[in-house]
Amino acid sequence: MSVATGIGHRRIMLLMAVALAGAGPRSARLMAEEQPGVVEGIVTYRADPKRPWRYGRYYIKQAKTGELADAVVALRGGKLEDGGDKPPAKTVTIDQKNFQFLPETAVIRAGDSVKFTNSDQATHNVQVSGDIASLNVTMPAGGSHTARFDRAGGIRQPLKVGCVFHSAMQSWIFVFDHPHFQLTPQDGRFRLEGVPPGEYELEIVHPAGDLRRRRRVMVAAGQTLHVDISISPDDKK
Amino acid sequence: MLEYSPSRRELLKTGMASVATGMALMSLPEFIFAGQAADEELVPFQNVPRSTPNSLDWETLTEWLTPQDQVFSVQHYGIPEVNAAKYELEIAGLVERPQKLTLEAIRALPKQDQFMTLECSGNGSSPGFSNAVYNSRWTGTPLAPLIKECGVKAGAIEVVFFGHDRKSETLRPGTPRELTVEVPFGRSLSLDDTLKLNLLLGYERNGEPLAQRTGAPVRLIVPGWYGIANVKWLRRIEIRDRRYMGRYMGRDYVTVRGERQGSEVVFVESSVTRMNLKSAIARVTRRPAVDGKVPLKAYGAVWSDGTPIAKVDVQLDGGDWRAAKLDEQPLEKHSWRFFSIELGSVAAGKHTLVSRGIDANGHIQPSAKDDEIALKKTYWEAYQQWPREISVEA
Repeated sequence: MSVATGIGHRRIMLLMAVALAGAGPRSARLMAEEQPGVVEGIVTYRADPKRPWRYGRYYIKQAKTGELADAVVALRGGKLEDGGDKPPAKTVTIDQKNFQFLPETAVIRAGDSVKFTNSDQATHNVQVSGDIASLNVTMPAGGSHTARFDRAGGIRQPLKVGCVFHSAMQSWIFVFDHPHFQLTPQDGRFRLEGVPPGEYELEIVHPAGDLRRRRRVMVAAGQTLHVDISISPDDKK
Repeated sequence: MLEYSPSRRELLKTGMASVATGMALMSLPEFIFAGQAADEELVPFQNVPRSTPNSLDWETLTEWLTPQDQVFSVQHYGIPEVNAAKYELEIAGLVERPQKLTLEAIRALPKQDQFMTLECSGNGSSPGFSNAVYNSRWTGTPLAPLIKECGVKAGAIEVVFFGHDRKSETLRPGTPRELTVEVPFGRSLSLDDTLKLNLLLGYERNGEPLAQRTGAPVRLIVPGWYGIANVKWLRRIEIRDRRYMGRYMGRDYVTVRGERQGSEVVFVESSVTRMNLKSAIARVTRRPAVDGKVPLKAYGAVWSDGTPIAKVDVQLDGGDWRAAKLDEQPLEKHSWRFFSIELGSVAAGKHTLVSRGIDANGHIQPSAKDDEIALKKTYWEAYQQWPREISVEA
């Protein structure tokens, strides 16, 4: 599963170096103010027997505690920007295997690429549709196709990926213009590091479950903010 | 005529109530079969893709009448918008008294229920298309009396059912005789079948008006025939003296199969019509391991063209076929029957299960290696056995 938690380490180190070199009270204050924070927590799903989520079993391994996998967690607004410390572009692979896309959800930064592969014996197709990109290629057995995604749609404008030959195949690609995003693994945990202090929207989207939750968070310099998110059928879009 | 009897209603309600009680007690898993024990846990299939909305979710198959959010729909000419208020169904062609019927007029005619499992003939042709089957209570009015009332003229042999959906079709593409014409979607039945098969002009499914994607306001219901015969968005019923050869009668939905004639294999093209005997394991559950062995149970469904089901066998890891327990109720001629089987305890690791239906005529659902499937060159009528792979941990 692709997880991106890029941190502006270079900038932090530079600030620290400047602060130490200056060794004055003003520099120290600047360092403290600019020190990034962390937002971490766990995303769980609270089931409602009256409104069962039929496909929840694919994403929730521990029914009693409800840790939710494949949820996209990202910050939005505030001081987020695609600074000059962007890591080299990556290529994430989405395989077509056993008539499904694996992984079903991918999170990348603008400029990253996705390599689509077909591990099935059948011919598939990759149809990407959305406001920020489109693609329609045939995928013969064993074939591959790599596409770069330069425009970011963030958490609110994911790209929907399908196969025109097999309509049940579905996938989503979320493209961000900042590094503060993550896809939750099976334990539902997320940790967004290197967050500039400030006020943000912490947004959680589960595309397959059609679930969305937003929450205002204040990230303090050098602090770790722990935010547990409990999603329920009330969060259905 | 089938009646929706109080006992059946009561039965279904009871079934749903037991499911609801189970849900309340357990909170999760959210889906259980009626009769499933509280300590049974789903063992996910390893060779089946995740289910998606608007198709049958096998592993959570709990309801004999399929909920609307699990109903598949396939259309070849798009989904037309048909205004129910202005709807008119035409019965024309070789009849003494052609008719035009509004939806109101159709609803005012004698009402009949038809329980029926409807399957796409391509269902099961690949792991990516094995959820296109559902069971319903269709409500409508019988068509045969209407046809007779119109006075069928001498020479009539065929009844064509045209939908509101239209598209351009190109015949003999790439040849000097290429021809492109816009045609309505159509399928036909012989006049004899039309009068004998207890067809309905269906306007409700499970007590609700038809959804647009499943043929609103009126679709044809053909008990025991594959989905393609159940023409949606019905516009015109035309009685003719020639065989109709629209694309979906004459070119597509034509099964090409090799048949052994002596030492020769002869390929024969036949129309996709009646449903074939078919069964599938819907889900496998496990109980806590005892001495390192895991008790397994399988649940599933079996259906046919209306030919009574005699038996369902289940095979585990290539062993002997063992008879599953067929549910006594609900029991309707054209609807699926659920079955279950205790498989005993297995060692941790990978296992393969498969079911086969056997009908009252002794016909056995074939495996993919049997001639009737192995020599079939087209994907329609994919009624072979469906092996399910699982992996269990002690």
